[in-house]
Amino acid sequence: MRALDAGFTRLYGWRHNPLHQPGTMAVTMLLVLLATGLYLVFFYRVGAPASSVAALAHDPWLGRWLRSLHRYASDLFVIAAVFHAVRMFAQRRTWGARRLAWVSGLFLVGIGLMTAWTGFVMAWDTFGARLAVEGARMLDVLPFFSEPLSRIFSGEGPVQNAFFFVNLFLHIALPLGLGAGLWLHVSRLARPVLLPPRPVVWTTIGALIALAVVIPAPLGPAADPLRVAASTPINVVTSWWLPFTEALPAGVVWLVVLLTGTVLVLVPRFTRPKERVGMDAPSVVDPRLCTGCNQCPQDCPWDAITMVERDDDRPTLVALVDPERCVSCGICAGSCAPMGVGPTGRSGRDQLATLREDGTLVARALDGSGSVPVVAICCAQAPATHRAALEARGARIRQVSCVGNLHSSVVEFTIRRGAPGVIVFGCPPRDCIGREGPKWLDERFFNDREAELQPRVERARVRTATAAPGDLAGTVRAFDDFVASLARLEPPRIEPDVDITLICDPVPMGADDE
Amino acid sequence: MTSAPRMVLAVIGTTLMLMLVAAASGPAWRYHGDAQARLRLSWGARPERIEVCRTLSEAELADRPEHMRQRVECEGTTASYALEIQVDGRVIDSRVLRGGGLRHDRPMYLLDDLVIVPGEHHLVVALTRREDEPVDQMAAHDTTQTVADTGIFAGRAERELEERDRRKRAAIPARLRLDTTLVFQEHEVKLVTFDAERQILQLHRPPIER
Repeated sequence: MRALDAGFTRLYGWRHNPLHQPGTMAVTMLLVLLATGLYLVFFYRVGAPASSVAALAHDPWLGRWLRSLHRYASDLFVIAAVFHAVRMFAQRRTWGARRLAWVSGLFLVGIGLMTAWTGFVMAWDTFGARLAVEGARMLDVLPFFSEPLSRIFSGEGPVQNAFFFVNLFLHIALPLGLGAGLWLHVSRLARPVLLPPRPVVWTTIGALIALAVVIPAPLGPAADPLRVAASTPINVVTSWWLPFTEALPAGVVWLVVLLTGTVLVLVPRFTRPKERVGMDAPSVVDPRLCTGCNQCPQDCPWDAITMVERDDDRPTLVALVDPERCVSCGICAGSCAPMGVGPTGRSGRDQLATLREDGTLVARALDGSGSVPVVAICCAQAPATHRAALEARGARIRQVSCVGNLHSSVVEFTIRRGAPGVIVFGCPPRDCIGREGPKWLDERFFNDREAELQPRVERARVRTATAAPGDLAGTVRAFDDFVASLARLEPPRIEPDVDITLICDPVPMGADDE
Repeated sequence: MTSAPRMVLAVIGTTLMLMLVAAASGPAWRYHGDAQARLRLSWGARPERIEVCRTLSEAELADRPEHMRQRVECEGTTASYALEIQVDGRVIDSRVLRGGGLRHDRPMYLLDDLVIVPGEHHLVVALTRREDEPVDQMAAHDTTQTVADTGIFAGRAERELEERDRRKRAAIPARLRLDTTLVFQEHEVKLVTFDAERQILQLHRPPIER
């Protein structure tokens, strides 16, 4: 996955890497399908399905390429949706608050495939008929229908208009279900992003239009139940399974589908960490430090934090983390000025404690053993090669689980203790496992979002950048530019006596205050 | 890499991916490339009821409410059939067919394709009831009027008989046989169906083109 990501980043750059946004790409394709489908449905006749679709396919103007665009968009929808699921699985983004998204996503892929199925049947070419026969064979083993559906296609009479009407109804109704499912899919996200960046949207649509014009989607000969087609044009993307299921008894196919579906639905259970410790530890709130400012619920990407009544005599509310929804991204820790919330070991207080114990920076400055290095704080997801390259260029590397987890005080005290500058390398924003790490980091450093970087910190000594797999040159260039800009500044003012313990509330997390 | 070569590579990469999508969208998949023909059997009809009927006595009828005085009561099972298909004197398929449902009393549906080598063939499709005819069927044909068959119930015995006859006519008869010589073209499907009106197996004519 990483190698593929890196390859696409080299081609398109991390801002426009389509692999970083397969989910939003699927939504884009859904919109294209709705727009093109709305046009096509006006020319479709349930009384003459094959000839009406053939007329569209041979229309030299809009019909031909809109039909092809519809078809290619459906292919890309399935590719993007499946890739999205594989990506989430590979990144272990399936448990906790993401469980609903995972399960609903599986159903969305299933509905998408069924919609494609009905779409191909609508065309009633040899491939559509083959899909219809296979679908009827599958349904015939279920005890729902008094008469086997397969006989509709036996050739005893023309296939009734009612069949094509029901099929058309399903082809329109199922995408409406997709819309409802999409709402459910993103319902646990605080700020769902539904579309890719505009350049990606329009480039993709433009490329598909060009493909539709240059290579129109194939249409097989009209279905004839009394003639066996020697070969059919088969859509590999949406119907790759057809040759396999045709060779198996319908009961076996159902069994395989049910078993596979069950295993996929249970993936969140398998991927959920057995113990919520370390990097998987959920956030906790120290109510003695919580001022009730309501910032952590606003920054949490998963709506895992709510403000509730306090059980003491203070007049404010207090934050409450739902550990079932918390996915341990640690973004709340970066949002809390008094450092009262965060995953165990990664709260702002824990980050400062680590910094306090690391006296190397100040020691170097005082004993004149060498120049004080620039500090590069990297997301844990940053490639090791990038970290090594930065280290080779003299950077002192620190690591955070996500740049959104980084508390601004860490940057402030790093500079006050002698570092000439701090550059923070996050993931590409569309590929942040914490969803909103780079966004909130920029807001806190440069736009005074709570818990903001204090005004006394010279902004020229702070920079945010992206360390994307496949763009080592970009990472190195960003670092070199930053170092060059620091060289133009006055030497940093070192505060060797700054005592983090005194500036911060010394109460340790979870300690009894009585 | 400078932006110009990267742009060229991006265009090439995008074009290749689009070609891949187009190629995956409709490659010709060899399906039944063996150039053989098919014999398709397809029908749906009620299997015959194998029943023993009994005429109720006047006393029995008098004990029942007026609207329930069905004169003849029948009990029995639903017939099963032996299907045998011969091509040029060789049996290529034989099996037992039963009605649908757990009690096999629902209509009997058949849809089956058999591979046939193209060319001229002598075809025999035989469907034979497996159960014997009941010894005494006389009661089923009893139309004796009773005292109870008056007023709006007048002629009930005839109507009952008519209904039994109608069901029997709609059912698959005890023996059906299609014996014919056919020429099968490559990839052609010859369809054999059951004509419930004429009570025969017949070769179906192609449907109207859509």
